Amino acid sequence: MTAPSPILVRRAILVGLIALWEILPRLQVVPELFLPALSKVLVVLASDWQVFGGALLVTLYEVGLAIVIACGLGITVGALVGGVASLRSLLLPVFSSLYAIPIVILYPLFTAWLGIGPQSKIVFAGLYGFFPVMLSTAAGVRVIDPQFLLAARSMGATLTQQVTRVIIPASLPTVFAGLRLGGALAIIGVVVAEMLTASAGIGYLVTLNRTILDSPRVYAAILAILLLSILYDVASRALERRVVVWQSTGRQSAPAARPVSTATPQATAA
Amino acid sequence: MAAVSMNGSARAPASDIALEVRGLSHVYEAGDRAVPALQDIDMSVRAGRFIVIVGPSGCGKTSLLMMMAGLRAHSAGTLLCQGRPIPTPDPTRVGVVFQEASLFPWLTTLDNIEFPLSLRGVPAEERRRRAEAMLSLVGLKGFGARYPHELSGGMKQRVSIARGLVQDPPVLLMDEPFAALDEQTRMTMGHELLRIWSTTSKTVVFITHSLTEAVYLADEVYVMSPRPGRIIDHIEITLPRPRTYEMMATDVFGRLRERIWQQIRHAQ
Ligand SMILES: Nc1ncnc2c1ncn2[C@@H]1O[C@H](COP(=O)(O)OP(=O)(O)OP(=O)(O)O)[C@@H](O)[C@H]1O
Ligand SMILES: [Mg+2]
Repeated sequence: MTAPSPILVRRAILVGLIALWEILPRLQVVPELFLPALSKVLVVLASDWQVFGGALLVTLYEVGLAIVIACGLGITVGALVGGVASLRSLLLPVFSSLYAIPIVILYPLFTAWLGIGPQSKIVFAGLYGFFPVMLSTAAGVRVIDPQFLLAARSMGATLTQQVTRVIIPASLPTVFAGLRLGGALAIIGVVVAEMLTASAGIGYLVTLNRTILDSPRVYAAILAILLLSILYDVASRALERRVVVWQSTGRQSAPAARPVSTATPQATAA
Repeated sequence: MAAVSMNGSARAPASDIALEVRGLSHVYEAGDRAVPALQDIDMSVRAGRFIVIVGPSGCGKTSLLMMMAGLRAHSAGTLLCQGRPIPTPDPTRVGVVFQEASLFPWLTTLDNIEFPLSLRGVPAEERRRRAEAMLSLVGLKGFGARYPHELSGGMKQRVSIARGLVQDPPVLLMDEPFAALDEQTRMTMGHELLRIWSTTSKTVVFITHSLTEAVYLADEVYVMSPRPGRIIDHIEITLPRPRTYEMMATDVFGRLRERIWQQIRHAQ
């Protein structure tokens, strides 16, 4: 007997968990308050879809702007820090240690400065997502093979062309890894901020319903957040695959490279 | 093979001097230390010749090549390419092929070859046409859509050669282009390079550590001393063309190879 494929096992586990979510509360192994049955959560989600949809839109709007801030600022600062040696030695250690601070503890300050509306969430989540984008952009720019730049110069590339035609595409894979993480952190940042202090958004719904002990709605909001994260992950992966074709295909076909094939092209060309 | 020389004007009579180096010296300023790398180099390379430079590691071969390519300045002396100085890289005058396949992994083979053309805004159609011609010149017809990681080491260097030649420069500089290849591939590539050279009538300056490769390829071999690099010998390779693998077993070949080796050994 052969072992079942990993994909099959993963699906089985997922189905099992979903089934447990439905069965355990129904058998009252777990109290309703802690875990309402999945069907109940879905029913609430469907019947109150306007409330949840509206909240999700608010969150989406904040997340979108936060990602713009995180990426725009992160790529700009990262490129400068990675590309300019003096800035790098000056700023990189500072940024690296700032990254280690749990920025959430600063959120109350943001509400004091910017109010409890969307602004404080956008700025906070933008800052939260900024660090990984900045750090990976800096790394991506720094590790570019100097041979690429030498080759480009030998072909007559101007300084601008070296940036646009070599540095940017060469650092894209590393930058993209940072963008994915930065975007995910921006989502977390917005939701956490909404849970802490807010009057709108999906995170706010979690907190609100928890205080009134409405478990199905708490879980419904959590499901909505889950959905948002999964959609983001799928979308960013798809975008990455399209933009950095050469890297994703490289990973797959690298082991299959033919070792001695200099003779073959001759044969085909002749 | 017909559409190889695209701007026929670059083709000079055989008597013309393609590269002229007179009293060239270079000192690297590394911090407060001065490293003399090249000393009093004199070379006179006639157009269409195949020149090989050999010398111990660190003697300044790459530095000299970079100066010929306009990639690096020199401290003293003159360096003329077709009678004019070359202060900045100009791929229409000098093409360069490096040791590492410095192809861009994010571009396909054709896009890599087109790269220098696209830098100067050559129309897409003309770019494609010229790149395709180069691709078949180096024997890689049909591989245009592949990415560099899908090519073998030898194929990558063929693409590098195609890229160096795509603007039809009269001079092609090659810095240990086959050093990273296995012996077998290296021999085939040397042979291929001679075929390409004979159809394009370029002036080639080729750096190598392999004495066999040097004798097999060259019209003239320049031997350099350890740092600071000086020219200590200039050897005419009188073997007839086209070169064949069988020539490697001849006495003449062996004697030429031995002479170069003795020069390098005694200079240490
Ligand atoms: N940018 C630089 N700054 C300072 N010193 C340098 C620089 N480039 C090269 N050198 C020094 O100049 C000398 C010649 O270097 P070069 O790379 O030209 O030698 P090479 O003959 O090509 O060596 P190899 O055969 O190992 O490739 C070496 O001692 C090297 O350390
Ligand atoms: Mg070298």
